[in-house]
Amino acid sequence: MNADTLISFDKVSVSFWQNNMGINSIKDLITKRKKPFSSKTILKDISFEVKRGESMGILGRNGSGKSTLLRTIAGLIKPQDGIIKVNGSFAPILAIGAGLELELSGYENISLLLSLYGTSRKNTNAGEEIKEFSELSEDVLRMPVKRYSSGMVARLAFSISLAKQADILIIDEVLSVGDQGFQAKCMDKIHQIKAQGTTILFVSHFPDGVLKICDTAILLENGQITHRGTAKEICDNYTLLF
Amino acid sequence: MQNITRIYALSKRNVILRYKNSLVGFFWGFFKPLLYLLIFIVIFAAQFPSVNNYILYATSGLIFWFFFSNVTNQAIGTIVGSAGLIKSLNIPPVSFPISELVGELFNFFLTLVVFLVVMYWFGISYSLRLLLIVPCTILFSIFSLGVILLLSSLNVFFRDISIIWGTVQPALFYITPIAYPESLLQGRNMFIIKCNPIYYFIKLGRGIFNDPIAPSNRLWAYCAIIAFVMYGIGAFVFSRLKNQFISTI
Repeated sequence: MNADTLISFDKVSVSFWQNNMGINSIKDLITKRKKPFSSKTILKDISFEVKRGESMGILGRNGSGKSTLLRTIAGLIKPQDGIIKVNGSFAPILAIGAGLELELSGYENISLLLSLYGTSRKNTNAGEEIKEFSELSEDVLRMPVKRYSSGMVARLAFSISLAKQADILIIDEVLSVGDQGFQAKCMDKIHQIKAQGTTILFVSHFPDGVLKICDTAILLENGQITHRGTAKEICDNYTLLF
Repeated sequence: MQNITRIYALSKRNVILRYKNSLVGFFWGFFKPLLYLLIFIVIFAAQFPSVNNYILYATSGLIFWFFFSNVTNQAIGTIVGSAGLIKSLNIPPVSFPISELVGELFNFFLTLVVFLVVMYWFGISYSLRLLLIVPCTILFSIFSLGVILLLSSLNVFFRDISIIWGTVQPALFYITPIAYPESLLQGRNMFIIKCNPIYYFIKLGRGIFNDPIAPSNRLWAYCAIIAFVMYGIGAFVFSRLKNQFISTI
């Protein structure tokens, strides 16, 4: 592996257990002797490399394995086959509202997630930065998150996730919520992070976003990489799918 | 070290969430056994004149029972309920059941303080022996951790587990001598009771508060063995299943 290679995947396969049971689960289990779980392959023979500072887009239809690929990269899913090498730290995966506790207030969520991300408790700046970036008012942050609109949830989640300094930023389809102003602000922030040399992995259904952020891209179809290349080429291929 | 900070943060969340929007908050920890006690007094106390100091007898059993019952009820859905965090952050999944246990231990501690004060009027004798409650709680916690590791991981794949547990629990409660004296049971019934692991922990905890003589070494040994065997089973099942959590929740 090259010194400036940040992520390398070599023939990685991931399979999940799939529930075979219907509504008559226990009866079926006894009478038909069906196995309750079978294995289903989600990712097949995935190989690619990402260099330090490079930004890669991941495109594909719904259900093609994009989110699974991101989670495998982040080490949340252990592959059944293949070798994964990662040389850096991760910011948490940005998915809409993931990990926010609906009953807790915005402030309580900020402090909970910061401790879970491993940001030092004394780093009170992080809290201030989140508040400032999200543009949510004191009143809103004191309310339980369940009262938030989806745009407000996205603002909070995005701001919290950006608080951790890391080598790799993973963005899973978050920019589709939030008003235009906030979307533009997020784009600016992503560009700023990218300029600092952070590697960005970006999943989106909108080729425009991928073109703006990414240098290279891959196209996933049914759990396999069918195309690899520059962001431009892959976006063109992706558009042809429909 | 980082994991300890995380478990602390999750436990704090659990404690805050449990009594959010409730009027008397933590005191529910003690009110619940107290309400049960009222039922017991009305129904059972007159039935068991053989029990010396029925109130102390029943309450000391009840606080341990509620520790176990609360922690299992809270923790059984912890993996399923933490789907959002598990899917976005690289946290060892075992942190979730552990943090449920820690949150409940905090609750138990508050209950214990109220219990020790209130029981002054019901004839508890204060002595250094009460300190034995610490090792007793540790053993019971290890046992409970084993149970919740087992239940919370199986519940990911078979959601029936939490429903079944809802009916197994009252059964466990009634085959454990909490409301009634042990002497009530003889022969075959006694055998069933002795197969019930919780019986030993309740007996141990109650012995510390209630009996004139301290719990025997044999009872301590039983509890320690049961605790570690249960933990072993729970930890084994949990570690076999944890890699597939993310695909199922």
